[in-house]
Amino acid sequence: MGLFALEHKKLWRKTSVRVSVLLCFVYMVVFCGALSYQWFEFGSSNDVTSAFGNNFDGYAMIRSYQASADGYGGYLTDESFQRMVRDIQADDDKGIYRELKDNRSAVNDYLTQLYPELRETDNAYSILMEYYVDSSKLTGFYERRQAAVEEFLHLQGQGTGAEGEMLRAMNEKVEEPFRFGWTSGWQNVLGDTLPDMGVIMALFLAIVLSPTFSGEWHSNTAPLLLTMDRGWRHLALAKILSGLAFAVELFALLAVGSIAAQLVYLGTDGWDMPIQVIKLLAVAPMNMLQAEIFEYAFALLGAIGFAGVVMLLSALVKSNVLALLLSLAAAYGPMMIAQYLPYGLQKALDLIPLVGSGADIFRTNTFHIFGKYIWSPYLLITVPVLIGLACVPFAIMKWSRRQRV
Amino acid sequence: MELSFDRLTKHYGHKIAVDRVSATLTPGVYGLLGANGAGKTTLMRMLCAILEPTSGEVFWDGEEVTGMGAAYRNVLGYLPQDFGYYPNYTAEEFLSYIATLKGMPRDMAQRRIRELLGTVGLLDAARRKLRTFSGGMKQRVGIAQALLNDPQVLILDEPTSGLDPKERVHLRNLLADYAGERIVILSTHIVSDVEAIADQVLVMKNGRFILQGAVPELVRQAEGKVWELAVPEDRARAWEARVTVANFRHEGERVVLRIISDQRPAEQAVPCRATMEDLYLYHFGEEA
Repeated sequence: MGLFALEHKKLWRKTSVRVSVLLCFVYMVVFCGALSYQWFEFGSSNDVTSAFGNNFDGYAMIRSYQASADGYGGYLTDESFQRMVRDIQADDDKGIYRELKDNRSAVNDYLTQLYPELRETDNAYSILMEYYVDSSKLTGFYERRQAAVEEFLHLQGQGTGAEGEMLRAMNEKVEEPFRFGWTSGWQNVLGDTLPDMGVIMALFLAIVLSPTFSGEWHSNTAPLLLTMDRGWRHLALAKILSGLAFAVELFALLAVGSIAAQLVYLGTDGWDMPIQVIKLLAVAPMNMLQAEIFEYAFALLGAIGFAGVVMLLSALVKSNVLALLLSLAAAYGPMMIAQYLPYGLQKALDLIPLVGSGADIFRTNTFHIFGKYIWSPYLLITVPVLIGLACVPFAIMKWSRRQRV
Repeated sequence: MELSFDRLTKHYGHKIAVDRVSATLTPGVYGLLGANGAGKTTLMRMLCAILEPTSGEVFWDGEEVTGMGAAYRNVLGYLPQDFGYYPNYTAEEFLSYIATLKGMPRDMAQRRIRELLGTVGLLDAARRKLRTFSGGMKQRVGIAQALLNDPQVLILDEPTSGLDPKERVHLRNLLADYAGERIVILSTHIVSDVEAIADQVLVMKNGRFILQGAVPELVRQAEGKVWELAVPEDRARAWEARVTVANFRHEGERVVLRIISDQRPAEQAVPCRATMEDLYLYHFGEEA
């Protein structure tokens, strides 16, 4: 325990670690959190050529969007949906500009996916269906969604057999009518910010943890440490534990900051809406809160897994630069080459820590293992951490032995 | 108490760094002398059981050290060449870290740290960050960490590098005091350090021991091979090109050369008393 505390202190003492954590925090919490809410995501439009041209009034705009969405009775029904469309068109008639984030984007998505026959292809603003569709024709919302899900599964080649049954069984558990409120905030959190968290953490975990073992060779302390009573397995274990603790601490710092920003700007409104209100064809019976918990758990377990991989790479080489490059390649290499690989291999690469995406809960991806279909998020959340933990004994063994060169 | 090694060999690819060296060391100070690249550091790392020999074995009191694991590391104190440190640690923190790695109880470690910081003259700088230390101060911290667990085998790789003359004398006295019933091995290419404190000298060249013995015994081997010759100033460089010259001393218009040579280099050359440095130059003249 004493050695772990000392290793942990040693890690946090490094200037590179403190700067990395600060940059990561600033990017995730200040830039992607507070500034994003207040300015370039939810600030009212000003210069339409750039989100940075928005006004610095996100907080007030969010309050007004939430108040506006709350006026539709809290559920998404044919009637409330028709009313939303009518209100958008009435605003347009009065010359009032309705922001895309003011649920206009969600309404457009529903129209595009469920009422394609109402699209006027000869209309100059064809894609902006919310401005011209006849709202009285917007009926059978849930029947149409069911048909759209079936068609989607069919197109994906998932419509039949055990896989189709599994996905349909999930979809049947989605409660209807949907709880409804303002969706853009949740869309931003679950669709954009949280899936990016793992990608950003991978960069900073690689920078901080890649010198865990190789750094001792770089600073020429390894020959000294390896001559000590507890310089082999004890030290390796202490280093691994402090690396894993760092991954958890970095995650906690980002999560607490992000959640605080989310609570300040978005509040808790809409936590019980199903995820289908932001991704209509998703089949997972999850609400926003459950989805957020899943995505945070995915980032945490992925970070722990990735930390294990990085520390193994660090134990395998004696060069800090090589350890860093290998660590970055472990996360970003698969992301870069995935699109050129067969689908099965792409899915396999997703199991590498922090390579896959927590946003898979919005998808119908599955793994076919030993004749069984498993919904991909179940494996994406468990396998990466197991990979990382499996790396631990190898890293300890690699450090705890006499050197050949 | 006995540290022995038998036909210890280390190859790096085709290069032979240490070539079948054997010795049995009992308490005392051993000076490992050799030019850069002679194999001293490789040998020391094998003795510390951190580098795997290509062949041969190291024994502590008759037991093979690899099998002893932590039990052997417990009796060991080591100062590596180019001693590495953590720049953001204070001297006290660094020594506490090392004491923990050496498995020392906290109270005992704190007492020992204060005592050693005093011994190496760093008590006033105990709470300063290591990055602010001079080369000599860092080296003294390195020596303190090696002594922390009061090791029975103390292996010091170039311990005097970076130390000023006063610090070197201080270290030599410290080691002489410390040795007692312990085995101290120090490698260096500074002959005067070995001459001053080593009971036994092991001279390494091309990975092999070419000489072993006590200083006076070894120095005797150089007797009859050291000469002084006074030459005009303009001829001194020409002599240096022809023979190994240990020293130039100006005396008026002439230069007195100290020449290491098996044969009398000139009729006027006079034999003089050999030193350990002469012996070193006799063997490493072309490398020194």
